[in-house]
Amino acid sequence: MSAALTSEVTADLQAIVGEQWVITDPVRLLAYESDGLTAYRRPPGAVVLPADTDDVSQVMACLAHAEVPVVPRGAGTGLSGGALAGPDAVIVATPRMNRIVHVDPENRLALLQPGVINADLTVAARPHGLYYAPDPSSQSACTIGGNVAENAGGPHCLKYGVTSRYVTGLTVVLYDGEVLRLGGLGRDSAGYDLTGVFIGSEGCFGIATEIEVRLLPIPQATRTLLAMFDQLEDAGEAVSAIVARGLLPAALEIIDRETIQAVEASIFAAGYPVDVEAALVIEFDGIEAGLDFEAEEAERCCWEKGAREVRRARSEEERLALWQGRKKAFGAFGRVAPDLLVQDATVPRTRLPEVLRAITEIGHRYGLRLANVFHAGDGNLHPNILFDRSDADELARVEQASREIMAVCVEAGGTITGEHGVGLDKRGYMRMVHSRDVLEVMRATKKAFDPWGGMNPGKVLP
Amino acid sequence: MNALAAVLSRRLPEGQVVEGFRAEQWAVCDRVPQAVVFPESESEVAEVMRLATQEGWTVVPAGKGTWLHGGQPPGAVDVVLSTMRMDRITLYEPGDLTVTAEGGIGLDLLARRCGEHGQWLPLDPPGPRKGTLAATVSTASSGPLAYHHGSPKDHVLGVSLVTGDGRVLELGGRVVKNVAGFDVLKLTIGSWGTLGVLTSITTRLHPQPPADRTVLFRGEAAELVALARAIATAPAPLAALEMLLPGERERSGGPVSLLAVRILEAPEATDEICRIVTDTAGASAFRQMDGRASADLFRNVEALESGAELVVRLSLLPSQLEALRQYACTLRDLADPDEGWGTRLAAHVQNGILRVIMSRMARGEGWIDRAAEVIERVRGGLEAEGGSLTLSRGPCELVSAVGAWGDVGPAAPLMKTLKREFDPAGVLSPGRLGFL
Ligand SMILES: Cc1cc2nc3c(=O)[nH]c(=O)nc-3n(C[C@H](O)[C@H](O)[C@H](O)COP(=O)(O)OP(=O)(O)OC[C@H]3O[C@@H](n4cnc5c(N)ncnc54)[C@H](O)[C@@H]3O)c2cc1C
Repeated sequence: MSAALTSEVTADLQAIVGEQWVITDPVRLLAYESDGLTAYRRPPGAVVLPADTDDVSQVMACLAHAEVPVVPRGAGTGLSGGALAGPDAVIVATPRMNRIVHVDPENRLALLQPGVINADLTVAARPHGLYYAPDPSSQSACTIGGNVAENAGGPHCLKYGVTSRYVTGLTVVLYDGEVLRLGGLGRDSAGYDLTGVFIGSEGCFGIATEIEVRLLPIPQATRTLLAMFDQLEDAGEAVSAIVARGLLPAALEIIDRETIQAVEASIFAAGYPVDVEAALVIEFDGIEAGLDFEAEEAERCCWEKGAREVRRARSEEERLALWQGRKKAFGAFGRVAPDLLVQDATVPRTRLPEVLRAITEIGHRYGLRLANVFHAGDGNLHPNILFDRSDADELARVEQASREIMAVCVEAGGTITGEHGVGLDKRGYMRMVHSRDVLEVMRATKKAFDPWGGMNPGKVLP
Repeated sequence: MNALAAVLSRRLPEGQVVEGFRAEQWAVCDRVPQAVVFPESESEVAEVMRLATQEGWTVVPAGKGTWLHGGQPPGAVDVVLSTMRMDRITLYEPGDLTVTAEGGIGLDLLARRCGEHGQWLPLDPPGPRKGTLAATVSTASSGPLAYHHGSPKDHVLGVSLVTGDGRVLELGGRVVKNVAGFDVLKLTIGSWGTLGVLTSITTRLHPQPPADRTVLFRGEAAELVALARAIATAPAPLAALEMLLPGERERSGGPVSLLAVRILEAPEATDEICRIVTDTAGASAFRQMDGRASADLFRNVEALESGAELVVRLSLLPSQLEALRQYACTLRDLADPDEGWGTRLAAHVQNGILRVIMSRMARGEGWIDRAAEVIERVRGGLEAEGGSLTLSRGPCELVSAVGAWGDVGPAAPLMKTLKREFDPAGVLSPGRLGFL
């Protein structure tokens, strides 16, 4: 594709969305030079901010005509470099498309523009006794459009499932400006599940401009526990024991010593003991009756696996305090080390203890600081490496260790990314989990949506 | 032995190829295949598909053959490929709450094995339980449990798929969260055997519910609709909400119209949910069934379609249940008033799906044309309101005439491109999805 972002193209874009909604000023473009993964920085050629599906369609048709590549962008909290564009590409960003078209309590549905912030949807649904279940830890910033593009998960996806479970229909705009309506509750769609395959397409198929999602009734009650362990593996064993007992908590999250120390040293200090090796957050939700029983069963599992202490929240404030350490972990890393490499592998739950052991060993061997914060119930690990990019030797060790960690997870029957997506960052790992034929089919699937190759080029596929 | 069967017999181990009169019971919508093959491994499936692509034979993948007349009649059927001899569980680690099994495993066998560990796969598609996992996934079939527990797309984590030209694709994986690349797996779920043969499937499992209770309300259809809508918006986790209106000749003195509310939670929570449901209903339940009785009732719901000549799925938003019922009444005119049990209606209330299940259709001069006209009118009405009409089962001429599904719309070219990628020679179930 021969890109040509000429001044005529810029003028055409301005004519479509209005002058103030096309950014070309190099200083302002710096705000778009990276996403949540700040290791990669590359300002785009321009940023366009459309207001609705029709705008997007015209913008895309214009860019397709000029053969300029398009990179969709929501809030830019992605952790795989997916929303990055080079100087010859244009970012189409959705912050103006932040309208909740309607909340329909009768059908427990909401229709949204893609720029709606995840947490805002739940706020809008609350008066109807409803909420939106997928809750990425970034939910106060990330957009539903970004969630769809990444098939985002979150702490409560253990019981409730990830984004794909809740998206019932989409309006998408393809590179040439064609508008397709996919799925929708209340109809058996004929043919292949294009809604399903679009979810998780990381901006490489088209731009989602309207999203229909399912809402759930707010659970009547919750029970939240925090268990402390002197061994990280023991916390992993406790997770297995809880699952084996047939309990289905809403969330099972682990944070390790390195993370606890980072949190406790920060403004987010949550009152976790800093000398434990791991803290396990356990939450149950549902009908009030019977929750105490489940919480007690889970507590027993923790004691059996050698917990040093188990705290139980007695009020909503206490509950938030127990969650604080988990929720603020990423924010707290910032002051510990200049750079952070976030990993996102998933392994079968029963393999957690041995994989955690192997990861710790790799960290030691390379002399790196590793901080684990993860969705333990789903086996979704986030072994984060804290380092300093300006130290070339350390950077090389980080890369080597990352690859080894991935290999361990894949070897255990897992995968390279559970919720953050491949983006730019993990393309190099794709061959570890997919055969040539499968990669070829993925390429062809992208091509069916984007035969021109104009959507988010250079992402996902190796 | 016919030529095609002879070629296949040379390539496959003894006893895996059937032809002649024994192939007749494997007719797909009246089209008797030249051969039925029963491969026992993925590589044998791949061998058959490579051969088919080379020779240009059309292949319809099948399981136990319990629902070969579902979907649109394929244009041609040279070979039926049954996965029923591939029925092993290949990897089951209960602690992972996932299981990997060959595609031909029956849902009943899978349920038994997982039940031994207190786990289950909450899928209750219509039809006999011996139906295979691969067929269930391939047709994306589900039942009353789908709203709360999810449908095949929510359960399936990974598959092995043998494409039309014999490539073996491992799509997805065995972990519960996986976004490594484009989710091509989703295309295969509900692809009706047009993209490949599912030889292995990994699905998520759930702990078996600690209690099973169904609360029944009865009344006139219109009353039940109002009640159903009220209960659907009650703030409580309901495993299923099914409205059942019996056939005309089942009524007199016999079964009545029912609303069945199923609860699959811990015992204490179950009592509380019951209370919420009856409070919301503002009516007292007519009966409560626990444990086995509750499960059996829903087993009967699974079996509702058996023996029916026509099954039509109508869909609108859940709040439009009464409109759905009105549409269903229009279809009742197609029933033979003198034969069978008449027309049953069964609604998945929370999903806005109503099934019209007809024992026998009225015959007579031009009956196909007449039925087609009525069905098309209803489909038109539903589609205009954003809904749909699907023929799950019916006389082949009728299904051919009106199409099992409605129009795909502007996405058709995109889907055709995808189909070509999986099945370059177009040998897999041609015409099964209507437009491809
Ligand atoms: C502190 C922190 C915690 C996080 N925790 C979680 C977590 O718990 N679970 C989780 O899953 N993720 C988590 N993330 C990652 C990130 O928040 C999610 O991936 C989120 O879904 C991205 O949304 P966004 O709006 O920021 O998307 P962006 O970063 O702007 O974009 C992400 C990708 O989506 C594409 N895209 C954006 N909008 C559209 C659209 N409308 N149509 C098509 N493509 C589009 C982009 O091209 C890009 O490829 C976390 C991130 C941070 C910084």
